[in-house]
Amino acid sequence: MDKFSLYVPNFLPREEFFDPKHNQTCIGCGVSLAVRLVGKAAEGLLHKAVCERQSAAELFGVTSDAAFLKLKQGKQTTIICLDDEPENSLDSAVKKTLPGIAVAEGFQYVATACPSYPFDLFEKVQRALESQGNAYLHILCPCPSAWQYKTEDTVKVGFWAVESLAFPLYEVAAGFYNMTVKTLKPRPLSEYLSAQARFAKATEKQLAAAGKQVEKEYGKLLENIQSGIAYTYETTGAVY
Amino acid sequence: MEATAKVSKKIIQCSAVANGTAKAFKQGDPIAARPEWDKDRCIRCGICYVYCPHGAVERLDDGFFDVNQKRCSGCGICHRECWFGVISMVEEG
Repeated sequence: MDKFSLYVPNFLPREEFFDPKHNQTCIGCGVSLAVRLVGKAAEGLLHKAVCERQSAAELFGVTSDAAFLKLKQGKQTTIICLDDEPENSLDSAVKKTLPGIAVAEGFQYVATACPSYPFDLFEKVQRALESQGNAYLHILCPCPSAWQYKTEDTVKVGFWAVESLAFPLYEVAAGFYNMTVKTLKPRPLSEYLSAQARFAKATEKQLAAAGKQVEKEYGKLLENIQSGIAYTYETTGAVY
Repeated sequence: MEATAKVSKKIIQCSAVANGTAKAFKQGDPIAARPEWDKDRCIRCGICYVYCPHGAVERLDDGFFDVNQKRCSGCGICHRECWFGVISMVEEG
């Protein structure tokens, strides 16, 4: 979809399946943006979806405050995690455990996405719904009121999260890793963290530790990609 | 910003999911500014339409875009993300 580059937005379906005014979201809400795009990709399915957000809810044995969307299609279920980092700590901003556990649990399709790359997200949702087994999607949603940045920067912060390698975008189909968005020149992590006022009090030691953690996680991911056979996805003739 | 300080730790039992939790952020209040398009320079790519979190940007019949006043919350994402700087935020008097 991205190959049409400039005029891609005109290929998106025009119908809106998510009405934020109904639930009154915050100004510049990232979750709202993500759910709106998921709705366009899943179309009628979103009306039947179950959305949960409980404090200390459990998924794969990990407690999390994030919201979970469940789309059901017959026997197949797609779990979508709308992660706006409610734990509010540096560790949670740097390390994501849930996608790795989902791979180990034997999910057919696992992917990470961010609404700053809308067409990437759009295609991943469609692939998740097309997959034969269960699927899991991890979506990073910047949140201006919790992360404390200007409301107009929601999309920009999402870009920086991916470009600083804190949240690389990849997909795992049938056990094979594939990087969908490649960053050739990584941005320094401090740039991404200092854009958010919630980390204003973090000491230099903590920031250095976070930087090491990011390198470690990214190294693991690269190893996984090299060890597997290169996986290329072929579309099933869907026309947008 | 007082509102954000009050909610601090439990920040966001997110309003996208649970009802009645957005009160602290004063969602019902009149918004500060609304976007306006400069039609002479707009190339109709539709980036503003994609990135609007509230679905407030609508496509007109002639291919240009305009804002739905009822839905817009004045976040300014379209103003920031427009490639050609066509959109300007106009404050309301």
